[in-house]
Amino acid sequence: MSRFSGILWSLLFLAVPVLGVATFAVAPSINVWLPPDVSEHGKAIDGLFYFILALTGVVFVATEVALFWFLWKYDAAKAQGPATYIHGSHTLEVVWTIIPAATLLFLAIYQMNTWADVKMRRPAMAPSVEVVGRQFEWRLRYPGRDGTLGTPDDLFLVNDLHVPVDEDFLVQLKSMDVLHSFFLPNLRIKQDAVPGMKIPVWFKATETGQFDIVCAELCGWGHYKMKGRVTVESREDFDRWLESQYAKQEATQPEIDPSATVARTE
Amino acid sequence: MNASAISVPHDHDHHGHGDDHGHHGHVTLQYQPGLPLSKGKLIMWLFLSTEIMFFAALLGSYVVLRFGAAVWPKPHHVHLSEPIGAFNTFVLICSSVTIVLALEAARANKASLAKTWMVLTLVLGTLFLGVKAYEYQAKFSHGIYPWSPRSRVFEKPDLYYGSAVRARLGEPAMIDRLKELDDTPEDKLTADEISGRRRLQQIRQMVTSPDQQPFDLAVVADQVMPLPAEGADAHGGHGPHGLNDTFPWLKLPAVIPGGTMWASTYFLLTGFHAIHVIVGLIVFAILLLYKLGPKRAGMIENAGLYWHFVDLVWIFLFPLLYLF
Amino acid sequence: MSIASAPPTVRHEPTVQAPAPHHASFLSTYVFSKDHKVIGLQFLFSTLVWFLIGGLLALAVRWQIAWPWSDVPVLGKLFAQEGGQMAPEFYTMLFTMHATVMIFLVIIPILAGAFGNFLIPLMIGADDMAFPTLNMLSYWFMWPAFIAFGASFFVEGGAASSGWTSYPTLSTNIASSPGAGWGQTLWLLGLTFVGVSSMLGSVNYMTTIILMRAPGMTMFRLPMTIWAMFITAVLQAFALPVLTAAGFMQLADRTLGTGFFSPEGNIVNNWMQATGGGQPLLWQHLFWFYSHPAVYIMILPAMGMVSDILTTFARKPLFGYRPMVYSIAGIAGLGFIVWGHHMFMSGMNPALGITFMVSTMMIALPSAVKTFNWLGTIWGGRVQFTTAMLFSLAFVSMFIIGGLSGIFMAATPVDIFIHDTYFIVAHFHYVLFAGTAMGVFSGIYYWFPKMFGRTMNEFWGKVHFFLTFLFMNGTFFTMHILGAVGFPRRLADAYHYETFHHLQPLNAFMTWCAIGMVATQAIFAANFFWSMFFGPIAGRNPWRSNTLEWTTPSPPGHGNFDFQPVVHRGPYEYSVPGVEKDHLMQTDPPNAAAAALAAAH
Ligand code: HEA
Ligand code: HEA
Ligand code: CUA
Ligand SMILES: [Cu+2]
Repeated sequence: MSRFSGILWSLLFLAVPVLGVATFAVAPSINVWLPPDVSEHGKAIDGLFYFILALTGVVFVATEVALFWFLWKYDAAKAQGPATYIHGSHTLEVVWTIIPAATLLFLAIYQMNTWADVKMRRPAMAPSVEVVGRQFEWRLRYPGRDGTLGTPDDLFLVNDLHVPVDEDFLVQLKSMDVLHSFFLPNLRIKQDAVPGMKIPVWFKATETGQFDIVCAELCGWGHYKMKGRVTVESREDFDRWLESQYAKQEATQPEIDPSATVARTE
Repeated sequence: MNASAISVPHDHDHHGHGDDHGHHGHVTLQYQPGLPLSKGKLIMWLFLSTEIMFFAALLGSYVVLRFGAAVWPKPHHVHLSEPIGAFNTFVLICSSVTIVLALEAARANKASLAKTWMVLTLVLGTLFLGVKAYEYQAKFSHGIYPWSPRSRVFEKPDLYYGSAVRARLGEPAMIDRLKELDDTPEDKLTADEISGRRRLQQIRQMVTSPDQQPFDLAVVADQVMPLPAEGADAHGGHGPHGLNDTFPWLKLPAVIPGGTMWASTYFLLTGFHAIHVIVGLIVFAILLLYKLGPKRAGMIENAGLYWHFVDLVWIFLFPLLYLF
Repeated sequence: MSIASAPPTVRHEPTVQAPAPHHASFLSTYVFSKDHKVIGLQFLFSTLVWFLIGGLLALAVRWQIAWPWSDVPVLGKLFAQEGGQMAPEFYTMLFTMHATVMIFLVIIPILAGAFGNFLIPLMIGADDMAFPTLNMLSYWFMWPAFIAFGASFFVEGGAASSGWTSYPTLSTNIASSPGAGWGQTLWLLGLTFVGVSSMLGSVNYMTTIILMRAPGMTMFRLPMTIWAMFITAVLQAFALPVLTAAGFMQLADRTLGTGFFSPEGNIVNNWMQATGGGQPLLWQHLFWFYSHPAVYIMILPAMGMVSDILTTFARKPLFGYRPMVYSIAGIAGLGFIVWGHHMFMSGMNPALGITFMVSTMMIALPSAVKTFNWLGTIWGGRVQFTTAMLFSLAFVSMFIIGGLSGIFMAATPVDIFIHDTYFIVAHFHYVLFAGTAMGVFSGIYYWFPKMFGRTMNEFWGKVHFFLTFLFMNGTFFTMHILGAVGFPRRLADAYHYETFHHLQPLNAFMTWCAIGMVATQAIFAANFFWSMFFGPIAGRNPWRSNTLEWTTPSPPGHGNFDFQPVVHRGPYEYSVPGVEKDHLMQTDPPNAAAAALAAAH
């Protein structure tokens, strides 16, 4: 009986790596996996994700299987004689400190470049759009015909972001009230919007289509519904859309008091 | 005495439950020597290290907020007086000396002398608090509160400022006062007051006229509380007299860039320090109930340690708040 | 001078005194007791009750995620909005209070308060804590917190709803959400009291461990549990005051109208914060300066307990005692310089992010050392599959999962995608529930005999273990792949995003598992209470373990030891060759065999 229970318990612990790996193996085929990536830098991020997945996967399987094996082999009901009387091994300690240290250091250095690309090497250009988080919507402001933000011809929109494909796109991210987070799952972009700060966010979309804008930082009761759409389209479509929106704005709001808006947003 | 003589019960698996309760004697346990410190002193040091982290967090926040701010008022803008602060620092340092003397006396079994020093420490601590209260009072009388509703400090001469000035000038009591001032014959007033009255009248016109511009409000602010030009000696004299100085009852809102955050941090830091001072004074007062002989030396020493810490915090606060 | 190497110079005659006259009332024995064991049990019972509450809150959370806007059973009647459907602001309160309860009222106090209190004096050979009255106060300071957190559900606007992280300006601006009124203020008050309680406890523990060890108990003969408790106390003492200070500042922002954490002219919901000039990110820095060390506060004691339990049931010395001690210290030390890994996306300077990334990678090292040493301990052992052992093994197995997912997030570019998704939720439930809570269960099964003099039922213990293990992985492992889709946390209803539309069935599965997991705990509760009164009587040392607490009666009387313990060796002398029984207790006198062994070494 007790021999039997030892087998059962060891197998239970073996089930951990088996089912763990199986879950990750099956997930992509049932479409519970990274959403399609349509950004330039996303490749590097996904690559890194897979790299870490492989690395930790190996460590995971190795340690969990070792755990199982020791339980199986050194079950008191089965193993003969007393336990090995040993207090440790200096060599082993050194080995299993150095190897993970080297691995982790490599990982740390390896990923820096991607991080710098996404968050530090800001393209030298004027902001393409200003995105302002507000309970519970994304307010967008395109520079309008003159290409500069903060001028009377700015185009105001809500939740409907359009982006030209294959071009650098620079968002100036702000928040009016509380923290929000500008999350574009398909573009592998996430950045908190902080009241009182202007934070630049940039990306280059590589495929056209419509995708979600998710608010990823708790911003109050309506956090769950702070949803926007991003449309990636060709330059021509983008310009045409911009023109039509501009016309629409002029038609509906013939007179915006320029000084009032400027004063409020500065 | 060898170890085997000590009866070591173990593997008493067969012992019944009730059994165990039956015959346990009370043993006064001996301990392995750890640090050469008494329990009281060790826990006091450990407690003080938590206190250090507490004040480190407050001071760190102060530094971050101050250097993250676009502007920060000079001590003089916010009516901080360095001599008063320096005096208080001196008072606190003296009290740190007297508590040490109290400890010395207690150790030397001079209980009444110890009591005298202790009383002196208590008095010095109270004096410190008194000066602090006077300083707080000075802030309040200039409308500098750590919180918004009663504060008369504004960051910018904007529309909010304008409406606050208008509201103040429109208070019924104020209208009477102003009328009285207007009616006072010139020979009853000093030259300063005469010019002040003229400027005040201009301001009232400006503020009440419907098309006031932000620019004008800056003028108003400058009249109420003139800020010395950039680069002027921050510690120097009062410069030109503001209207609030000429007519103290006026209590008009003032523009002090960065003043609100300054006030918040100032009251936060000095407030928590003052609370610690009060706790120290309570401890001293309790100690005074005892005969301060060698038996109480440990308690006095711990209270003294705490008091030195409170003193040390102030040594950091004084230059940060008053001098830089 | 080195404390560790000081020889056991004091060898004393046991001075048995006449029993003290017993005229203690019920109140002073069971309620306002200064006995560390009673205080430990008070902590244990209080935290278990809150554990149940936290678990029920988790179920309500899971309900909404699986079947949004459908009527909530039971709870729906209590907090009915319309018909029994949960309002979105109520959902934000649920997960905020779930996390608050679990972290501040369950895991931290059950580890430090319950186990720390009960075990420290017993395992080092002291008759009580250094300052029993202070110890009692540390328990009673929990009560204002219990009341504040508990009451916050019933005040106007409801409980705090800005997440357990309480980020401004959502938390400071009272117009920002319904729960940002009284609930948030009570939350801050509760936090302050929890903080005072922990601070009183931690300085007391440190003093006790430094000054009240039995003769011969050098620092490097301490059991791992005590090392872990000691270093946890150090972490508490140095990290917690920072949160307390930050809490006061947030309280001032909310009640006095200062603006430490609000920028100039912050307008929420058309309500303008009158004062400004502050920085929302300052709070995040202060908060994580505490709360990152706090996650280690929430696992180190469990690691210590698991180390002791693994050796007992592997009948083998701990593999690498000193590396284990150094790695705890390493985790604690590094723990102070990694807090920024919670803020990679916060708008903090990205260059600073790099330094935090590197330090975070490095903190995995001591954890690696610990993991490998646990495996080394089991290797070559004689494993006895008791319930306590099974939970300890689960701890090791699950901590690996939780730790490894930490590596994904430590990699800043990957964190861009997975930050604030269920990948994070998976990570911390693996370390906190699948890790620490398994350690806690293990500790309860293991020390139950010492606490109540009787052992818990092994059969039902194993059933409890098996079902918990199964349901737990069903609930939390799936969260990893949800996170890979980018499924965001803290969303009352994520399905109207096209990207996440298809995840509802998976979430329903997880909720069923969570329901099963909570239901399973009924077995535990029944076993616990039944065994307290009817379990088999345990005797002093039912597990044939080595440490000092097993030399005392079960349960130990007032003053703990009925003899003067003198320590002759480290705590892990199992299966010593040449010794007849397979373990040598720390107090066992050095006999010929042990002497021969010592000579051989
Ligand atoms: C007990 C609690 C606990 C513990 C122990 C940890 C341990 C770790 N945590 Fe975790 N963490 C939390 C509790 C905990 N965490 C919580 C509660 C949050 C979320 C808070 C919130 O936002 O609400 C969080 C969030 C969190 C984040 C922020 C994510 C985000 O919000 O975007 C990060 C980022 O770096 C992180 C990293 C790590 C790392 C690297 C470790 C490491 O210490 C892990 C080290 C262990 C191992 C790595 C496994 C064993 C090692 C080996 C088998 C050796 C070989 C390994 C390699 C070579 C890779 N954690
Ligand atoms: C120690 C911490 C801890 C623990 C144990 C748990 C336990 C659980 N948690 Fe939670 N959780 C957090 C800490 C914890 N959690 C934190 C920090 C957050 C983030 C909040 C935020 O975003 O701000 C979170 C958020 C969180 C979410 C995400 C919500 C969201 O982002 O929208 C979810 C969703 O599934 C969840 C689920 C669960 C479940 C199903 C359990 C289950 O494991 C619960 C199981 C409970 C039991 C099994 C009860 C057992 C009871 C007993 C043993 C008592 C027996 C009684 C006696 C003997 C008297 N938790
Ligand atoms: Cu905006 Cu969440
Ligand atoms: Cu962390």
